Amino acid sequence: MVFRTALLTINVIVILFIVVFIYITTEKIRIDYNARDFLGSVTAIPWNPMQNILRCGVLLLVLLLSFGLREFAFRGNVKIIGCSLGLDVVVGYLLIYYLDFNYTGILLMISANILFYLQDRKEAYLLIAVTVGGYLLAGHDLMDIRSGLYSLIDYIQYFDLPTQQLCLIFYNALNSLNIVLFAVYCIYVISRQRETIKEVNTLYDELENVNAQLQEYAQMVEKMTQTRERNRLAREIHDTIGHVLTEIVMGLDACLTIVDISPEKTKHQLEMISEVARNGIKDVRRSVNALRPDSLERLNLKFAIQKMISDMTGVTDVKIYFFCDDVELKFDEDEEMAIYRVVQESVTNAMRHGQASTIWITIKKQDSVVKLQIRDNGRGCKEIKSGFGTKHIQERIGMLGGTVGFDGSHGFVVNAEIPIRWGETYD
Amino acid sequence: MKVFPRRDMDRKAERFQVKKNYVAGAALALALAAGGGALYMAAHPREVVLEFGMFAGSNWDVENPNSYTIIDQAIREFEEEHEGVKVHYYSGVLKDDYSEWLSRKLLEDEMPDVFMVLDDDFNLFSSMGVMKNLDGLMEKDQDFDQDAYYPITLKAGEYGGHQYALPYETAPTLMFVNKTLLEQEDIEMPSADWTWEDMYEICRKMAKDTDGDGTTDQFGTYNYSWIDAAYSNGEQLFDMEGQQCYLAGAGVSDAIKFAARISDLNNGQKVSQEDFNSGNVAFTPMSFAEYRNYKTYPYKIKKYKDFQWDCITVPSAEPGKNSSVVECLLMGISNRTRHEKLAWEFLKKLTYDEGIQMNLFRYSQGLSALRHITNSREAEVIVLSNMESGASVISMETLNNVMENGIITPKFAKYQQALSLADSEISKIFDENGDIDITLKKTQRTINSYLKG
Repeated sequence: MVFRTALLTINVIVILFIVVFIYITTEKIRIDYNARDFLGSVTAIPWNPMQNILRCGVLLLVLLLSFGLREFAFRGNVKIIGCSLGLDVVVGYLLIYYLDFNYTGILLMISANILFYLQDRKEAYLLIAVTVGGYLLAGHDLMDIRSGLYSLIDYIQYFDLPTQQLCLIFYNALNSLNIVLFAVYCIYVISRQRETIKEVNTLYDELENVNAQLQEYAQMVEKMTQTRERNRLAREIHDTIGHVLTEIVMGLDACLTIVDISPEKTKHQLEMISEVARNGIKDVRRSVNALRPDSLERLNLKFAIQKMISDMTGVTDVKIYFFCDDVELKFDEDEEMAIYRVVQESVTNAMRHGQASTIWITIKKQDSVVKLQIRDNGRGCKEIKSGFGTKHIQERIGMLGGTVGFDGSHGFVVNAEIPIRWGETYD
Repeated sequence: MKVFPRRDMDRKAERFQVKKNYVAGAALALALAAGGGALYMAAHPREVVLEFGMFAGSNWDVENPNSYTIIDQAIREFEEEHEGVKVHYYSGVLKDDYSEWLSRKLLEDEMPDVFMVLDDDFNLFSSMGVMKNLDGLMEKDQDFDQDAYYPITLKAGEYGGHQYALPYETAPTLMFVNKTLLEQEDIEMPSADWTWEDMYEICRKMAKDTDGDGTTDQFGTYNYSWIDAAYSNGEQLFDMEGQQCYLAGAGVSDAIKFAARISDLNNGQKVSQEDFNSGNVAFTPMSFAEYRNYKTYPYKIKKYKDFQWDCITVPSAEPGKNSSVVECLLMGISNRTRHEKLAWEFLKKLTYDEGIQMNLFRYSQGLSALRHITNSREAEVIVLSNMESGASVISMETLNNVMENGIITPKFAKYQQALSLADSEISKIFDENGDIDITLKKTQRTINSYLKG
């Protein structure tokens, strides 16, 4: 920022110096009545020095405005910065044109700005090529081959020697300062870029290290989890099966001892062992359930059936009524699964084969039996054929030790009775 | 969804309405101004002022009381032909000050649209781009035929192969002859295709001591130098751009030797203006303008009243190749003019209009650069009517030949200085009896480095 401001200031001073100096010299020549002699010593003159001051002044204002936009008003807005840099290039070349190639240092300033703002963009190389190429090609000495360019030196040479030297020193000093500042600025930008690259490399190395550590840590965590899980299993097995088996073994040992002495006592003992075994089974089942990862996510049966019904009525215009007198409707998982599947199968059958428009589902609990009825108002059927999905239903209910009956005379009715376990005595 | 509060929306609509009113108002005002402006312009057409740059007096360094007459007439006619156009010029700028005056105008960016340009300035102004390249304008103009000009006069306005100026007036160099002296010595008037040898023969007879005081007091030539001889021999001493001098050629050497022979006839006597004015010299080079001026009333009585004189062509090394230096007063257009078309029309009025060009014979001392004007019967009548009656006068036919075979001198700024330098170096040859060719080569080098320096 300081560099760029300094460059801008120098360029403004140099350009104003050139145009104002030419104007003042022209006035002096007129006052001295030396016009013809002066013209004889030059190859060209600016037609209107005052107009040149105004033109260059306006262009310099545009340059200042563009600088302000970049540095203050729209910092970080790539589009606006790009436009303002493009504007700078155009204004720079216009200035060079109006100054008849007497001063091309303005291009160095523009290059410096482009270098700063567009370091990593492709356009930057293009713009820098345009400006630096222009700086090299547009030098007054080179362009002088094309005649008709006025030269500041001609105007300086109008004065006496000491004044000439003073002007030349001032002008050349500013010119050199401009070039030196540009060079220093380039070095600054490049070294800053190099530092950034170094920093990025360091950060990358650190990231690699951390990543490796993280992977190690993840492996460790996995192992730890496995170990913990094994410990849990071992504990569960020890707490349930181990305990129960020990009790059974000890009870059976006792039975072996007393079986000949007191069959009565042995029988009692065996009953007790049976009780322990039953409890053991229950514990094992509970443990397995507890170990199952989806145990907590399972829906309860009533809610699952309701969801199924709403899903089905959502896609068809069949009416399904669901009656259930138990609020909890909580069974073991295999029982719940069987009931759910039977309901699903029956409803599907009623819709697919019976063309029913209304379906009634009833679940009742009587003592330790669940009574399940699915009834519809469909066509029904005179003979119950297996393969209507009824075989599946029979199998499922059979596996739970229940019974099932079908009636196809008025619509279709499925009646199932399932003995449930929590109704059993070993609960 | 964000909904503007009702009041806010009203205010927005109101503001929009106000804005719309402003726009409509501005448009209306603009339309009124434009309409008013157009009406005003129609009622008062804007006057275009064309600036003309000229100097007072004659380009030929003779007295001329009528220097504004022709210009004023041209302006009057031009303004009549172009309604709403005024031509303005600054009067009272002398020829000696004109160059500086024009240069100051250039520095002030107030270059006249059309202006006279002096020989010394022509190359400089052309090279600086001050003068408009007339090639395109000449080409486009159907009414303009450049073949109407004597080619050499057109060439005078050329720079780098392009036409930058047109000749307004021209004057060839002629040879003054003292007829009374020739009759005294019983010598015939030389013919139009006379040679160096003819001239030498006459001069040899002329040079003598009439009062018997031991010094020669009647001479063949006054003011005739190797430069006149070289030019009359068709030699170019410099290139047109003023970068190179051509002294080392055989033609220049011949001219120098001839001038030396003529000079030797005077037996070391320096011929003065006084000798010439009192009628003791047979020949001297003279511009056509001087010829006309001193042949016409009232100036003729001031000089040469004791003898009869006339002008003929300049002698050349070989018969019939007599070529005179032709000088031109050029006019051009500023490259910065905002009225290119009008400026061209005005330039044409001055340099191409028959009436204006014919007036050169009435109110000035030069010739028109237009062949058909200079060749016309009317011009001849005008020239004759001003001459003393009964005097033999150079025939218009001879004059026409002189113009057709004329040569021009270059127009770079250092021309006069370079020529003086060459002259002083060459006069040393005679003073020191040096070798001509070696000296010429050395002088050519010296002058070339001066031209480039």
